[in-house]
Amino acid sequence: MPSSPPRHGEGRGRLQQWLPKLVLAPSFALLLFFVYGFIVWTSYISFTDSGMLPDYTWVGLEQWSKLWRSWTWGIALHNIWVFGLLYIVSCTVLGLLLAILLDQRIRAEGVLRTIYLYPMALSFIVTGTAWQWFLNPGLGLEKTMRELGWESFTFNWLINADMAIYTIVIAAVWQATGFIMAMFLAGLRGIDGEMIKAAQIDGAPTWKIYARIIIPQLRPVFLSAIVVLAHLAIKSFDLVVAMTGGGPGNSTAVPATFMYSYAFSRNEMGIAAASAVFMLAVIAALIVPYLYSELRGGRS
Amino acid sequence: MSFLHINNIKKRFGDTTVLKGIDIAIEKGDFLVLVGPSGCGKSTLLNMIAGLDSISEGELLLNGERINELHPARRDIAMVFQSYALYPSMTVAGNIGFGLEMRKVPKAQRREAIQKVARMLQIESLLDRKPGQLSGGQRQRVAMGRALVRDPQLFLFDEPLSNLDAKLRVDMRTEIKQLHQRLNTTIVYVTHDQIEAMTLATRIAVMRAGELQQLGTPQEVYDDPSNLFVAGFMGSPSMNLLRADIVRHEGVLHARVRKRNEDVLMLPIERDAEALAGWEGREVILGIRPEAITDPASAHHDGRIFEAELEVELVEPTGADMYVVTHLGGREINARMRPGTDISAGTPTRFAFDVSRMVAFDPDSEARIRHT
Repeated sequence: MPSSPPRHGEGRGRLQQWLPKLVLAPSFALLLFFVYGFIVWTSYISFTDSGMLPDYTWVGLEQWSKLWRSWTWGIALHNIWVFGLLYIVSCTVLGLLLAILLDQRIRAEGVLRTIYLYPMALSFIVTGTAWQWFLNPGLGLEKTMRELGWESFTFNWLINADMAIYTIVIAAVWQATGFIMAMFLAGLRGIDGEMIKAAQIDGAPTWKIYARIIIPQLRPVFLSAIVVLAHLAIKSFDLVVAMTGGGPGNSTAVPATFMYSYAFSRNEMGIAAASAVFMLAVIAALIVPYLYSELRGGRS
Repeated sequence: MSFLHINNIKKRFGDTTVLKGIDIAIEKGDFLVLVGPSGCGKSTLLNMIAGLDSISEGELLLNGERINELHPARRDIAMVFQSYALYPSMTVAGNIGFGLEMRKVPKAQRREAIQKVARMLQIESLLDRKPGQLSGGQRQRVAMGRALVRDPQLFLFDEPLSNLDAKLRVDMRTEIKQLHQRLNTTIVYVTHDQIEAMTLATRIAVMRAGELQQLGTPQEVYDDPSNLFVAGFMGSPSMNLLRADIVRHEGVLHARVRKRNEDVLMLPIERDAEALAGWEGREVILGIRPEAITDPASAHHDGRIFEAELEVELVEPTGADMYVVTHLGGREINARMRPGTDISAGTPTRFAFDVSRMVAFDPDSEARIRHT
């Protein structure tokens, strides 16, 4: 083998050029197989006659029509609407409000910021369990208030089929608000202080400074917050499982719990696959345009 | 009664005093420039006039009325900021009209006022654009329009030209000066650029480390600096400052300056002679502007000229002038000579000193030595 020093250098150069790709290749392959491969597989399953086990007999749109006729799926879709809307709106409004309050150059801001941000560090299972205990009439708030002497105090939303979905909203809002607050706080800190001074001299009262000058400038933060919250809402599974397990009855079923129960306890893999593909489509419809605009914005 | 009276104003942040008692009074129509190096407190003083910073001590009077505690919106002032501080979500027209809108001026009247200002600043074609679509110079005009439209008693400018490139800065400077002359407004203007201060001001306040060093017309500050700092800060190229001994020579008071070659140059004292008589036998710092040292042919003969031969070290032609560097009193000395003069480095040349423009400073206190 002729191996003169310059050729040796060239070989090393080529190795350096290929090394990052080599190192990334295994994880790329795994990702391709386990994420995109299974997306394709699940999509296929949704058009087959799969029950407890995969069955590759093609049945066309039969599973999809079963899905849309399912009573529980209707509840799940209704719940995700109610939950998603309340969750996104509450987190955004509360997060913005907290950020504005924290931005008033108060003392102990660092401590407060950390306190508000901490719930995000918990797993949804922990949040769900803690809130389930807290809202359980026999264990938490209701029992405590009655022991303190308020005999007529009642707060039984958790076991009330009409209200249980709202307890999930409360827990989810509690968890994500701090994170949204941090996003808004970063946005507020990026606003030129001279602009606020100019508005003061222009005679704008504080609320108008926020309404007319500061909040319109937070538009990109609103967009990010809503996209983050929307996909969290659609994916929500563990919180529901830990708090209500989808009950009482099916009253707190959401698409993710629907998919889980159809796949693993009701042996209707085809329907479960169809619901999963539907969820993916909704999330993709939200995320893809967002990522596209973000990445393009980063380039220009 | 002066129009704007800054009466012994102080500003403290905790234990540190950033403004140590500032006294300035200006009349209606004055263009006051606060100038000084960064950290001298000039912007703080401006913010206090605007009402954006509180006043720790002292009194602020506008048109005879105490405005210390008045909210910025109610002081009848307008301010142009360094970053322009335009509202990015509003159009140019919205930006200019925002102050009027907040003061509940009817829409038709507002539109008229916006049009008038836009015409004056030649930004009519930009009224529907957003600030993000404008160039730096255009933003600057919009920021000025926002101030002008309200027709306030007092305009405040906080380093408004520092974000523009050099050429645009000179153009805008001229334009601000024209606006001031045309509208006869009262302006307080902050800058660290002494050329801006000299060209724009009717009165200059030179500040350093929270203290007012000198207040006067540009010519007073330039020709008659009250201390070494003002002398060195104002003027470009800056004033020559050199060590000299005050001696009596043939009965006349002289400043004795050392040349490079251990020889001495005796410059007769013309100005502040009474005060300098007390300094006989002591060392002072002598200040001479570069244009007060020239070639004999271009010397002003209304001053008192003293000629001497010195060795040229360096010649720096700028086109309009020729700066000739020589060595005196242990320092490089800049002289401004007629361009095209046949002077080259290393040759002895005759320099003409206008000794009537020479000033002297106490080397310890840095104060000007003059008759009080």
